[in-house]
Amino acid sequence: MSEPSMSPTVLPGQERYVDTAHEEIAAIDSVDDSAPPTSMWRDAWQSLRKNPLFIVSAVLIVLILVVALFPDLFTHEDPKYCVLTNAQTGPGPGHWFGFDQQGCDVFARVIHGARASVTVGVVTTLIVMLLGGVIGAFAGFYGGWLDAVLARITDIFFAVPLVLGAIVLLNTFKTSETVWKVILALALFGWTQQARITRGAVLEARNSEFITASTALGASGRYNLLRHALPNALAPIIVNATVSLGTFIVAEATLSYLGIGLPPSIVSWGGDISSAQVLLRVRPQVLFFPAGALAVTVLSFILLGDAVREALDPTSRKR
Amino acid sequence: MSEDLRRSTPTQDQQPGGRRAVPEPLVEVRNLDVDFRTGGGSVHAVRGANLTIYPGQSVAIVGESGSGKSTTAHAIIGLLPGSGRVTGGSITFGGRELVGLRRRELERLRGSEIGLVPQDPMSNLNPVWRIGFQVKEALTANHLDVTREQRQRLEDGLVAESSPRDDDELFLGSASKPALLTDIRGALEDSGVSGTSLDEQMKRWDETLDVGSVTRSEVRRRLLAAKISGAEQIALGHVTGSTVNDRVAGLLTEAGLPDSARRARQYPHEFSGGMRQRALIAIGLAGRPKLLIADEITSALDVTVQRRILDHLEGLTRQLGTTVLLITHDLGLAAERAEHLVVMYKGRVVESGPALDILQHPEHPYTKRLVASAPSLVSQRIQSTKHAAVRTGTPASGVGAPGVGAAQGTAELADHRPLIEVSHLTRRFDIRGSKEPLLAVDDVSFEVRRGTTLALVGESGSGKSTVANMVLRLLEPTKGSILFDGRDALALRKAELLHFRRRVQPVFQNPYGSLDPQYSIYRALVEPMRIHHVGNRASREKRARELLDMVQLPASTLRRYPNELSGGQRQRIAIARALALDPEVIVCDEAVSALDVLVQSQILTLLNDLQAEFGLTYLFITHDLAVVRQIADEVVVMQHGRIVEHSSTDEVFAHPQQAYTRELIEAIPGGSLHIGGAGAPTEPSGTAS
Amino acid sequence: MGRYIGRRVLQAIPVLLGSTLLIYALVFALPGDPVTAMFGDRPVNPVVANQIRAEYNLDKPFIVQYLLFLKGVFTLNFGNTFSGQPVVNIIATAFPVTIRLAIMAFIIEAVFGILIGTISGLRRGSWFDSVSLVLSLALIAVPTFVFGFVLQFLLGVKLHWLPPTAGASPTFQSLLLPALVLASVSLAYVIRLTRTSVSSNLSADHVRTARAKGLTERRVIGVHVLRNSLIPVVTFLGGDLGALMGGAVVTERIFNVNGIGNALYQAILRGEGTTVVSIVTLLVLIFIISNLVVDLLYAVLDPRIRYV
Repeated sequence: MSEPSMSPTVLPGQERYVDTAHEEIAAIDSVDDSAPPTSMWRDAWQSLRKNPLFIVSAVLIVLILVVALFPDLFTHEDPKYCVLTNAQTGPGPGHWFGFDQQGCDVFARVIHGARASVTVGVVTTLIVMLLGGVIGAFAGFYGGWLDAVLARITDIFFAVPLVLGAIVLLNTFKTSETVWKVILALALFGWTQQARITRGAVLEARNSEFITASTALGASGRYNLLRHALPNALAPIIVNATVSLGTFIVAEATLSYLGIGLPPSIVSWGGDISSAQVLLRVRPQVLFFPAGALAVTVLSFILLGDAVREALDPTSRKR
Repeated sequence: MSEDLRRSTPTQDQQPGGRRAVPEPLVEVRNLDVDFRTGGGSVHAVRGANLTIYPGQSVAIVGESGSGKSTTAHAIIGLLPGSGRVTGGSITFGGRELVGLRRRELERLRGSEIGLVPQDPMSNLNPVWRIGFQVKEALTANHLDVTREQRQRLEDGLVAESSPRDDDELFLGSASKPALLTDIRGALEDSGVSGTSLDEQMKRWDETLDVGSVTRSEVRRRLLAAKISGAEQIALGHVTGSTVNDRVAGLLTEAGLPDSARRARQYPHEFSGGMRQRALIAIGLAGRPKLLIADEITSALDVTVQRRILDHLEGLTRQLGTTVLLITHDLGLAAERAEHLVVMYKGRVVESGPALDILQHPEHPYTKRLVASAPSLVSQRIQSTKHAAVRTGTPASGVGAPGVGAAQGTAELADHRPLIEVSHLTRRFDIRGSKEPLLAVDDVSFEVRRGTTLALVGESGSGKSTVANMVLRLLEPTKGSILFDGRDALALRKAELLHFRRRVQPVFQNPYGSLDPQYSIYRALVEPMRIHHVGNRASREKRARELLDMVQLPASTLRRYPNELSGGQRQRIAIARALALDPEVIVCDEAVSALDVLVQSQILTLLNDLQAEFGLTYLFITHDLAVVRQIADEVVVMQHGRIVEHSSTDEVFAHPQQAYTRELIEAIPGGSLHIGGAGAPTEPSGTAS
Repeated sequence: MGRYIGRRVLQAIPVLLGSTLLIYALVFALPGDPVTAMFGDRPVNPVVANQIRAEYNLDKPFIVQYLLFLKGVFTLNFGNTFSGQPVVNIIATAFPVTIRLAIMAFIIEAVFGILIGTISGLRRGSWFDSVSLVLSLALIAVPTFVFGFVLQFLLGVKLHWLPPTAGASPTFQSLLLPALVLASVSLAYVIRLTRTSVSSNLSADHVRTARAKGLTERRVIGVHVLRNSLIPVVTFLGGDLGALMGGAVVTERIFNVNGIGNALYQAILRGEGTTVVSIVTLLVLIFIISNLVVDLLYAVLDPRIRYV
């Protein structure tokens, strides 16, 4: 084999062949100018735009946000104006979903309940992104003893399951009447996941050659963290934030169901579901509407997170 | 194992060159089309490919990444990934059509008729199973795990057919080896051998009689050859078959893994890349396939390991009479290892024929290009194509005439005084769980003279990249000193270090990793200027365009992102970025290793031109001596953290002083080939874009 | 392997101390006097209040209180409830019920989660995959307690297939429904995780090598795809055993199961800090230990970890 025989008897099918039909060959490594330039985010946006799951979930989320911000656009009924004589009346004109056992308009309560759930979800997520993001980024980027200490602190908070930790904290602040205690409780025990994800993503970016290259160019550590590592860690951070937003909304409802979440003075889906429980046997729709609204909201955020994850997945990108 | 397959297998005397009747081809690929479905439609990976392989031959498909060479191979074994489908043409194996074969039938064919040794040894072994288990599976899948008697009974039950290789299937077992050795010793003692001579002979017998690998007839043959009395009886009495585990160990030994019985109990992560590749070869050959597809099996390995594995595979397949289909990007390697070549380009077969014929008289423009730029075949330093270009007046890089004139001036003025002086550089790493620290770099001293290229050559683990990182001031040395332009580079204060970084720039290996995927090319190119506060917005943009021009990329590239560019283009961007601040030294850490041959040659030419133009000094880190010959003035060969040889490039190639250097040179694939009359290709290869 | 286990165990100790301290601090060190809160709307009797403070060590510095509490945890002396019943007795009666519930839920999520997830992952894009995807999303999106109400109403009240509540001495049958509800969210996560893991492993290089050996498809899937895919799933499942016990608070309340969750809920209603902190500490301990077991399990499943 190392001395191939140059015998003239070349076997059939192995004769010398040169492709003459396709002579033209491209210049070595020429730039493909056929497609417009696309950044990672623009690329992701292009694929998102064509994803029906993204369109549906984004439209729903916009709708939910509008409802939460301007509930009066959708109903003129006062959710707290309850007349006991109306209690358990079925749906009628102007009161599409009927009344609950207190005689409150169910539709109005579903509309007005959006604000509490969305506020808890969005604000908790923002706090968690900031807190977990900063801790994770520092741990991942600087490593060493700082990473070890931050990792143990993260472990400590991670060891207390979200709802359990929130129960303990809220039990202490039982008398407070604000949304903030719920947000605080959820954020305090909900940031660990975000910290872990940020740490991993920043660590991966930190070990990449472009950061080494940037250092060799003369960039400082802070510059590398802010200009290279964090922007590159953003994709998983955003995806996790979107999905966990839904989890926080569910957790808030669960706490309200246990009677230690939002105070009854705040109209919320969780509270309404809890109070509708007794009516389940006679009038299930009183449970159905707030529960449905909650589920659709949570589902929208999860689907959005899934769609964004798929769009930003590096393995699905070209080349 | 169907009968028609067996019938078509010719015997040895029907080899090419024989005067007997024309043999039947083992593999015939006719007008093969393979498509991959993607989101936006389908990609034609292979178009109308033709390929003929005869039994016992060694055939190579050569091409760069994306040429369709691996796809063609995967189509033959029916393992196209993901959405890949054969959309036209036919593949016959021993006269039997493979396209459209049912999964069951393909499964029966794989392993026992067609074997595969895949490309990347790191990802191709299952990390959770022991090596031995994974080899054993290949035996069980092809029903080679049962003892001879059982198989005999099975065969008797099916067809009363006696295979001529029956005796060959009886292997030496680990249980009977001691008794065999005792008998041999007895026979030797009877024939008057004693003392150290006896011990030495016994040691040799112990080492060469591999459990699970040598057969009864082999033992008998060897004993007879050694004139051992009673050879027949000894072989018949003690070679009575092996267990599956013996056979697994035997296969691993055959693939070149020493201490295989112990190795079989280890997991893949305990193996080095070369060892994993050997395990994969053992798996590929376990079913004794008629055809073995070897898909870029050595491209991930060090050159010396590469050579040893290829030599071993060649010997083994020849011994077993296995037909080999090599898939490679390396023309030199292909020409050296195969008798018939198929060159693929963009999914088409552009040229095929006898290997040496193609190498000596390439006809298709693409093949010509490949031959001209194959690093293993180019035997000289790229001689300033820049000067040639100037003489003929062709604007090679688009740089205006005044610039070229000035560059020539600086090149002539280059004083060749040392710019970087490294002395007694040492770096230790503490390894977790080990008391002994790793001495990655051990007392390394060399000088890089201004305007020249010094290549630091070594295999993985030689410490060459560690040296590069210390010279770049990305890693602190444990001991030793680095002088840059006469000043102590290790004692630089913060502002001085920033200035140092401006003068010494890196280009790293991985073209996919060294550019921030979120930065546009424009942002990547102006980043050094931003960090060093050089110029304003307008002048930075102007500079960015100049830089693109220097690396021969169109200005439209500025708005693009790294993921839209090929590996070679990214590497050119990385070079442009390194040039942004007019540095004096560029440290290239394996800067061309990850690139296709043609692109690699293009980049080397570019680097060479830039050196001539700007009087740059290069510290060039590489594992590939073939590349060194094209770019370097001086060579430092490193092994295990130490310098083993240091002299001029010509000297190293002409008169290598150390055995290790010689081994490295010999390992260059295609190095042994002599292209009659053609000599070193003179055609400049960097005339692209 | 020994080093790995040793390091994991050592790492768990500060986490254990830290998280119990965290909980203790949340209950006893935050502004607001738990003793005053205990009296509710009634006027505070200083003598009684001081007595209570002495009994619960509240008159001592915080860190001493914590250390005494920690000592109590290790000697199984959690103190008494306000009604004088030892907390340890409450735990002793409630705990076995919750363990039974959690184990049943665990089996449900492991068996059905892996089964459904595997089939989905192997047949991506099929109708089965679509249905299981929708189902798992619904389980995540609908809060457990809503799912609980609905199942209780449909299966328990309307169809009488299963007892709607568990009551004082729960049988296997009466725990089936609560276990299903408790498992629901984790079940969805196991399905999603298994599906992703299986389908990404299907295209792994080493799976192609396995096929190239000539292995049958069944063996390729069983020995190479599933074995590797299960590593992250088993890790999730192990950590979830602890989380299930925490999730029991909601489920036990819906189905009136007299387990640890219900005991915790009652304690919250009555404002018994000692009981709350004891039960939560216990649950956190279980959580930490189950995560430790997962780490060790991980080392068994993935040989690459053992030598790190």
